[in-house]
Amino acid sequence: MIETYLQQAGNTASPFFDELAAPGGKVREHWKKLAHAYDELGIEKMEQRSREISQELRDNGVTYNVYSDPDGINRPWKLDPVPMVFSQQEWETIERGLTQRAELLNLILTDIYGDRRLIKEGFIPFDLVFTHKGFLRQADKIKIPGKFQLIQYSADLVRGPLGKIWVLHDRTDAPSGAGYTLENRAAMTRVFPDLIRENQVRKISSYYQTLKNTLTKLTLQNKENPRVVLLSPGTANETYFEHAYLASSLGITLVFGQDLTVSDGYVWLKTLRGLEKVDVIVRRVDDIFCDPLEFFSQSHLGVVGLMEAIRQKKVTVINPLGCRILENPGLMAFLPRLCRHLLNEELILPSVATWWCGHEKERKYVFDNLPFLIVRSTYRNNEAPLYIGSELSKKQIEELKKEINTRPYLYVAQEVVNLSTTPSLIDNNLEASNAIFRSYVVADTEKQVYHVMQGGLSRSFPAKNGFIISNQSGGISKDTWVLGPLPQHPPQQPASQQPLRQVKNILPSRTGESLFWLGRYLDRAVSNVRMMRIVLKIYNERDDEIHPETDQTLVILLKSLSALTGTLPGFAAEDQVKLTQPERELLSLAVETGRPGTLAQSLQSFLINGYAVRDRLSLDTWRILDSISEELELMKENGNNLHKIYHNLDQFIIKLMAFIGLNNDNMTRASSWRLLNTGRFLEQAMNTCTILQSALAIEVKPDVEKQLMELVLMSHESLVTYRYLYRSTLQMQGVLNLLLINEDNPKSVAFLISKIDEHLKQLPDNNSEGGLSPARKKLLEALTMIRLCDVNKLVMPDAEGDLSKKHLHDFLHHLITTLGQASGVIYESYFSPTQSQYSFVKSNNPLPEL
Amino acid sequence: MKYQVTHITRYEYQQRASLCHNLVYQVPVDHTFQEVKKINYQIQPEPRLLAMREDFFGNKFIYFSIEEFHRKLSVEIKSNVEIAEPAWIKADPKATMPWENVVIWLRSAEADNDIRQFYLESAHIRFVDEIRDYTLQSFMPGRPVMEAMLDLNSRIFSDFDFTPGFTDISTRVEDVFLHKKGVCQDFAHFSLACLRSVGLAARYVSGYIETIPPPGKPKLFGADASHAWIALYIPDLGWTEFDATNNLLVNDRHVRTAFGRDFADVTPLKGIVYSGAGQRMIVNVDVRRME
Repeated sequence: MIETYLQQAGNTASPFFDELAAPGGKVREHWKKLAHAYDELGIEKMEQRSREISQELRDNGVTYNVYSDPDGINRPWKLDPVPMVFSQQEWETIERGLTQRAELLNLILTDIYGDRRLIKEGFIPFDLVFTHKGFLRQADKIKIPGKFQLIQYSADLVRGPLGKIWVLHDRTDAPSGAGYTLENRAAMTRVFPDLIRENQVRKISSYYQTLKNTLTKLTLQNKENPRVVLLSPGTANETYFEHAYLASSLGITLVFGQDLTVSDGYVWLKTLRGLEKVDVIVRRVDDIFCDPLEFFSQSHLGVVGLMEAIRQKKVTVINPLGCRILENPGLMAFLPRLCRHLLNEELILPSVATWWCGHEKERKYVFDNLPFLIVRSTYRNNEAPLYIGSELSKKQIEELKKEINTRPYLYVAQEVVNLSTTPSLIDNNLEASNAIFRSYVVADTEKQVYHVMQGGLSRSFPAKNGFIISNQSGGISKDTWVLGPLPQHPPQQPASQQPLRQVKNILPSRTGESLFWLGRYLDRAVSNVRMMRIVLKIYNERDDEIHPETDQTLVILLKSLSALTGTLPGFAAEDQVKLTQPERELLSLAVETGRPGTLAQSLQSFLINGYAVRDRLSLDTWRILDSISEELELMKENGNNLHKIYHNLDQFIIKLMAFIGLNNDNMTRASSWRLLNTGRFLEQAMNTCTILQSALAIEVKPDVEKQLMELVLMSHESLVTYRYLYRSTLQMQGVLNLLLINEDNPKSVAFLISKIDEHLKQLPDNNSEGGLSPARKKLLEALTMIRLCDVNKLVMPDAEGDLSKKHLHDFLHHLITTLGQASGVIYESYFSPTQSQYSFVKSNNPLPEL
Repeated sequence: MKYQVTHITRYEYQQRASLCHNLVYQVPVDHTFQEVKKINYQIQPEPRLLAMREDFFGNKFIYFSIEEFHRKLSVEIKSNVEIAEPAWIKADPKATMPWENVVIWLRSAEADNDIRQFYLESAHIRFVDEIRDYTLQSFMPGRPVMEAMLDLNSRIFSDFDFTPGFTDISTRVEDVFLHKKGVCQDFAHFSLACLRSVGLAARYVSGYIETIPPPGKPKLFGADASHAWIALYIPDLGWTEFDATNNLLVNDRHVRTAFGRDFADVTPLKGIVYSGAGQRMIVNVDVRRME
């Protein structure tokens, strides 16, 4: 396997430097052990390991989102079994280079938002800074205590044709990927434990310990017990998985903008217990989205007033707002001189050759050499165009030149480079792919140095001449192995260990709300599946076509299904076509995602709420969610076949029950579990009432009634219980007793209501001064109705001999209304009311062009 | 000249609001030719937190937050200011530097970055060829900068119609030029676009102007409005102010509240409010001559 690779990549005519193959077809020294091991394994075993890795990542729910992808939100994360490898010797240079660059950028940042001497003295052109949208004037003169302003730093490194390492990008705003790196390493360790040991691959964990330690040290106010949160843009963000994963790995609370509020100049987290002060925010929200008051007013991802809280030194935001100025690639052209000036050293890691067009001489060079260059904006965003010199027409070149002449300071040109290649396992073959390596650096505030992760996140792309380096979408990730023992000098002690302390369990209101809805949709799906199974069973048992007059049971069940799913009128519309040919409506009730009330929609909502609280769910629970998601896709594929769908329904029940069982088994009995169950039981109680009302509170012939009672009991898994308890034929009183009143039966509405009440009793109560809370009062009202009701009276015909079961119908109607009110009160007492954010100033321009 | 300026902004929300955070740029500033004698401000309901701050450009602004339920918000700022005749009134426009020399000087090491930042584009100001051509008709080769500017000022005044309601703050300066209509903000933005397109440094000034009622009519309270004009940097004279809306070289009837690259830097009242629905705004401004 390696031999073939050497022939391909070690070819002296290859335009690339290869990580593994030295010219002349030899394996480089630091790759030898690995290359040997791969040969021993052989390609088939490698493929098998690769599948194990995929399985491992899938089992761990490692995903990323694609914003523009309409089909489902999660894509599996891909990891190449072949890592990116650095030798001990080379890493030493890289590590020194990264530390130096972080120090340098930190000094530049401090100056840009301080005295701006570097600009005054001509080391940095003023318009390079003043025209960059990352230069936030609102952040001027704001410093966090200590020498470090740049806390987290990432550099994307590449290797050119001559083997030299270059910095391609500096990432300083909210660098991503450290969470994926941790997952990659975990998967590799599971699948290649021997290779990791034999090659002395360095551990990456000290990075995360240092990060955690630094974060807690950066608190300005509450030094004893600082509250650190990770601010994520939300579940739709492409790297949301990583936000949830990092938050739980670091033991900090995952929050969204709407979870935070600024009051009295402090930032507060809205929790179930009221407001909790926040000391440190690690943000994954881009700079100008962080505070709609002072930056982009249409942002809903930020916290209004955050900038003022920062000004008042009540909260520390990591990285500080304004750090993005350092991502300006134009700065790269000035770094060598700045390094000599500020650190009195030569820059160890050069940047990819960069010409900033703001200076006339460089601009002329760019114009003269356009075919060999790419031109890009100094500000990185998704819309910023990228011009590949060699691909431009004459007209386009003229237009580009005119644009650059008008706003020269907004453009840089960079050399088109052939990136090095490294082996990747692709389609049963080791292929030479281009690679980029992202490093992670964090300030160690204790030792007052920058700490470099001994590894990082690499990405590989199909090898191409003049690889276009801005295109980072796609590609396969690679673990990054730094080989050899740690050098002895700075002893790599993990940062001082905090004594283990049980952190108060904090549940943001929004998370609580998601858990509540998770429970509601969970049981909505369960009731829905059970009812649908029964309907399909009866439907499949009929002999010929449906005659609404004679097939009364089926007709009532269909109407009941419409009532249960809240898709009225549906079958209740007395539409003969719908009733005689119910397939279309049944299929729609199963698979139509866009229609409220359908099974697919309930499951989708269940999954979305599960995703929003994924940092609270165990790994096994998460696997079940994944398998439900897969089953849902299967059901949608069966979208025109009721028989196949019946099989999906069976699978759903098993999986949903597994979810319930697992949560009962391993969720701590904290607020989160109570809210989940409150949602579940409330949904169940209301569904039972709806089924009783729509299927039993109507006038029918006695034999139909019998059949309906049996089916209703079946849909509640209670037929056996009934037979055991009453040992008699089915009677309405008995059925109502069992499903409504009997508080020993876990399926009865009364039982469910008292369970909800028990949960609410344990949840924090911010509303009532002593006595029962409004929510518990409503529940007591419903429970009392049931306890006081007289079943015989409910089902007896009245004096005029009316058999329509009006009393039962009205009673259930009243009960459903009361439970609905209870749901509303619970919602209002625990979760934030839905208020929208309005800006005084109209803005139709999200990113003002500079 | 002495003035008392009253600026009242009222917001009415369609549904009650639970929280709002605001930035107010309505506090007159001390300036070479302007002295602020007294400032009073009153905000209803009472803010939970209020802080006076200074921004990047040296302007004063108020941050405040209201954290109780409210349906109305009122911000009232009352100030007494004394304005002196600026030095540029006595300057001879013909004796100023040729404008091209100003452009060159601005790019020399002598010019301060605090000045140079105002020749760059900004949120509302873009370099547009057509606007540059329009400007060059006044900025002929070698013409003294102030003379050229006065000419441009009067051309804008006569070529553009003051038409309230045609534009809003999101209207692009290109469209203002196309339709030659707008209000004082648009006149100011257009002037800035002209000057920056030829390489000069010019900034936006927000404030107030005293209006004189028609003869025989009493002056009505609240009939004035906030105003906007521009300042052009002229070596030796400094930031020299021109008001294209009124075809004026600014004298002692303009009260300054803030300077910025354009409106976006000095929006009089910015706010983010949490409520169930939108809001309505009413502004009253009164500029009253004292003595």
